[in-house]
This record gives sequence, C-alpha cells and structure tokens, in this order.
Amino acid sequence: MNSKSRYAWAYLMIAPTLIGTLVFWSWPAVYSIYLGFLKSENFGLVSHWVGLANYERLFKDAEFWQNLRNTMFYVVLFVPATIVLSTLFAVLLNAKIRGRSIYRVIYFLPQVTMAAAAAMVWVIIFAQDYGLLNSVLGTHIAWISDKRFAMYALVMVGVWGSIGFNMLLILAGLQGIPRPLYEAAEIDGAAGFRKFRSITLPLLTPTLFFTSIVLVIGATQIFDSIYLIIGKTNVALPAVRSLVYAYYQNSFIYYDQNYGAAIVNILLLINLILTGIQFLLQKKWVVYD
Amino acid sequence: MSSAVSAKHRSNLIIHLILIAGAVVMVLPFLWMVLTSLKTTTEATQIPIAILPAEPSLRGYMDALKQSPFLHYYANTLMAAFMKTTFPVIFSAMAAFAFARIRFPGRGLCFFLIISVMMIPNPVFYTPQYLMMSKLGLVNTVTALWITSLVSPFATFLLRQFFLGISKELEEAAVLDGCNPFQIFIHIMLPLVKSALVAVVIIQLLWSWNELQWPLIINSSPEKLTLSAGLATLVSMFGTDYPVLMAGAFMAVIPMLVLFFIFQRRFIEGVAFSASKG
Repeated sequence: MNSKSRYAWAYLMIAPTLIGTLVFWSWPAVYSIYLGFLKSENFGLVSHWVGLANYERLFKDAEFWQNLRNTMFYVVLFVPATIVLSTLFAVLLNAKIRGRSIYRVIYFLPQVTMAAAAAMVWVIIFAQDYGLLNSVLGTHIAWISDKRFAMYALVMVGVWGSIGFNMLLILAGLQGIPRPLYEAAEIDGAAGFRKFRSITLPLLTPTLFFTSIVLVIGATQIFDSIYLIIGKTNVALPAVRSLVYAYYQNSFIYYDQNYGAAIVNILLLINLILTGIQFLLQKKWVVYD
Repeated sequence: MSSAVSAKHRSNLIIHLILIAGAVVMVLPFLWMVLTSLKTTTEATQIPIAILPAEPSLRGYMDALKQSPFLHYYANTLMAAFMKTTFPVIFSAMAAFAFARIRFPGRGLCFFLIISVMMIPNPVFYTPQYLMMSKLGLVNTVTALWITSLVSPFATFLLRQFFLGISKELEEAAVLDGCNPFQIFIHIMLPLVKSALVAVVIIQLLWSWNELQWPLIINSSPEKLTLSAGLATLVSMFGTDYPVLMAGAFMAVIPMLVLFFIFQRRFIEGVAFSASKG
C-alpha cells in the first residue's frame, strides 16, 4: 500500500473526532475568552468591545473574592479528607482479609449514583428537625442553611462520593509495591505504622500525587452539589458559592454572559496553572521506583 | 505462636470493624432513599424519626410517575446516553487507531489539538455552546442534549494508549495480505482492545447518565429535561413531599445500579484501569 493512500485513511479516521473537537470544544474555548472582552446589550443582540472592563469589575467585586475563597476553602477541606480516607481504606483493603471484593463494590456504589439523586437524599439526611444526621448525633444543626455548617455538609457529600474511585486508584498503587520490601523491613523489626511510613508512603507518592491533582482540578469546578443541596434561595449560599456557581448565576440567571465568561476564564487560568504545576512536579518531585 | 495468631486475628477484626463502619456510611444514603420512598409524607417528617415505614406504600412512585414528566426524563436520558456513548466510542476508536498506528503528516499537531481541550474546565465551553445551539435553533430540544458530545478527546487519548501497546507483527502480516488500514483496524486491532473499549463505554455511559450542568443550561421545558435536571425540578414541584422525591431519585439511579451489579468487575476495573492510563 502506498503512503498517499495510507494518509488518506488516517485523515478519514481522525476526521470525525478532529472536526467535532474543533467545532464543539476548541472554538467555544477560544470564543469564551473573546466573550470576556465584550459587553452585550439587549440579550446579546448587540455587543461591543470593552477591553478589560469585565475583569476590572470582577476584581472590584467583593462577591467574586468571596466566591474564590469559598472555592479554595472547599478544595482545601475536600482534597485532603478524600486522600486520607481513601488511603486508609485502601491500606486496610490491601491486607489479606476476607470479603475484599464485597467492600470494593460497596465503596464504589456512590460512584455510579447520579449526583442529583444522591443530593436529594442528603438534603433529607441533613434536615434540621427530622434529619437522620441530627438524630444520630443528637444535635439540632441546620446543616445546609446555617452558613457556618453548609460548607462542611458539601464536603461530606463530596468525600462520600469520591472515596470509592480514589480508593481504587490508591489500591492499584499499593499493589504495585513489591512484597519483598515489606518482608525485608519485617526482618529488620519494623512493624505497623513504621512500615507504612517508610515503605508504603514514599512508594505511594506518585499515585497520591496524581490522585490529588485530579481531585484539586475537579474540586475547583464544584457546582452540582451547591445547586442541588444548597439551592438558589438559601441564606447560606454566599458562604459556599463557588466560581462555577457564580458563572452559572451570572450567565444564565442574570443573563450577563460576558461577566460570566470573565469568571469562568479566571477558572480556566487557575486550571491551566494547576495542570502546569502537575506537569512540572511530575518530572521533579515524585519518587518513581 | 498462638499469641502471634491471636494478634493477627485481633488486627483483622479491627480492620473489618473500620471497613464495615465505612461501608455503612456508603450504603446508608441508598437505604434511606428506599426507606423514605416507601413511607407516608407524615412518617418521612415525623419527630422522632421513623426508621422503617409502618405500612410500606408505593404512593410516592405513583405520584412521581403521574404528576411529573418522569417518563420524558427517562426517554431523554436514554437517548442522550445512547448518543453520547455510541458515537464517541466509535469515533474515538477510529481516531485513536490512526494516531497510534499510522504515520501521517500533521499527526502530532492534530493529536495536540484534540487532547488540549482536556485541560479546560467544562463550564468554559457552555456559554459559547449555548450561543451555537441558539443560532441553530436547538435550544430546548433533545438534540441539544447530545450534539456537542459526539466526540470524546478523553476516550481518544485513552484508547490511543492501548493501541500503542500492540505489537507490530500482527499488523505487518495483514499489510502483506493486502489489507488497508481500515480493515486492519476492524479485523485485527479492535478485538485486541476489547477490554479498553468496554471501559470507555462504561465511563461514557456513567458520565452522560449523571451529567447535570449542560442539560440544566440548554433545556428548560420539563419534557425536554434529563433525569438529573428533572430531579432538581421535582424539588420545586413536590416541596417536602419526601417520599415522592425519594421515589424519583431511586427510579433515576436504578438503571446504573442494576448495570453496576451485573458488570461490577468490568465497572470497577474499567474505571480504575482508565484512570491509571489517563
């Protein structure tokens, strides 16, 4: 077969994905950046170039900074909690115990559950008067409408929904650690936590690093649980509103697409920086065996 | 020796206790969903809380089905999930094969253009996609639910990793037999990456079944919503009629739960597998 016809086949086979990606994903991304420099009137019928005006407004907007802080606060609570609990359960499941596959299935359940359905049941569990959580704890906390607690409620739901998947990733990482290392350590008299600290943890860093970065990127985009659990009329909304929620609110409730685009473009910048850090650190910091 | 055995026994017991505690927390919301869906409205909001329904009733299910466009949600979700699974899997497999196994001018650039969108958070795409749908007159249609997702850069990236790992010999024999690249792809390569294809099908299916934000943005008529977006509106329709809400939630998750229980190994391995390659 000559190379011309091989090329033709190659172009034909990549064409749907390439064209689809360029039209429906790459172009919109470029257009979103462009939208951030415009101001439209009459529901988008007329637009004119305003330069950095949307961003100037954004940086002067106390609500934007609050939303950014909320997003970061969520990341800071959610990611370490998920990593610690996922690692704990992965280490326990890595022990030679019975029923491992049953535990794996149960822990994975939240992963196949629609966020909307899960959110609805959590709302009922969090209810102040007749909620399961307050009954079990013997408290009377307004988990989702008290601004001191709403964020923790969201973190709880987030962690519940993420452990199964991340535990599996960490478990795969654990299973990649050679057994003889542990046996050698046992001969040297190391046990329990000591083994975990000096063998498991260092050799698990690549996995933990990869898992954390993916979690951070995902967590900066939190929207579903705020929309579903907190809701737009909740007094606690300002205390948990994320960048993506603010984007949604400005673009599709207030119909200010340009201001919304400016918000989401800041999120894009944050994510690109995170991806860059991931790329650089992956080369330098991680201990590959 | 016996003390070593009993120490081992004890530590296993502790491990099980912690794992069971975790498992209870994982399952509890499902259990609560089902129990609440079978209660009466008063039972669902009584103090102190009633754990079991005194007389389990299906009233919640009947009301959810009769008083909301639930069957529309179902049909729309099925349609969107079907389109967003079938096409991306076919297109991605083709593209991934070409990127991995054929050398052609512009290969690096085309691949970069495709995978570069993976770094971009989804909400960045939504407003321009909305404006595009609006130009095409597709806002508030079932088509809009899936038309922007007929391709998947992630699946392309993932499957390419698998195609890269296949040895060259099989392919060379086929070339000698006069097969063109497409025949090699269909007859030789596809069967070899079957498990990766299954993983991609599962990921696409789960993701499109559960997706919330895009359906919420693009469609607003109740009969054009998906289950995810529809459930969010049930709250405003039924307020604190918790049995109805929970019946709706349970009916929405049941298809994926059933698939998960049938193909649990495939699900778990597929998802973990793809993440480790991704």
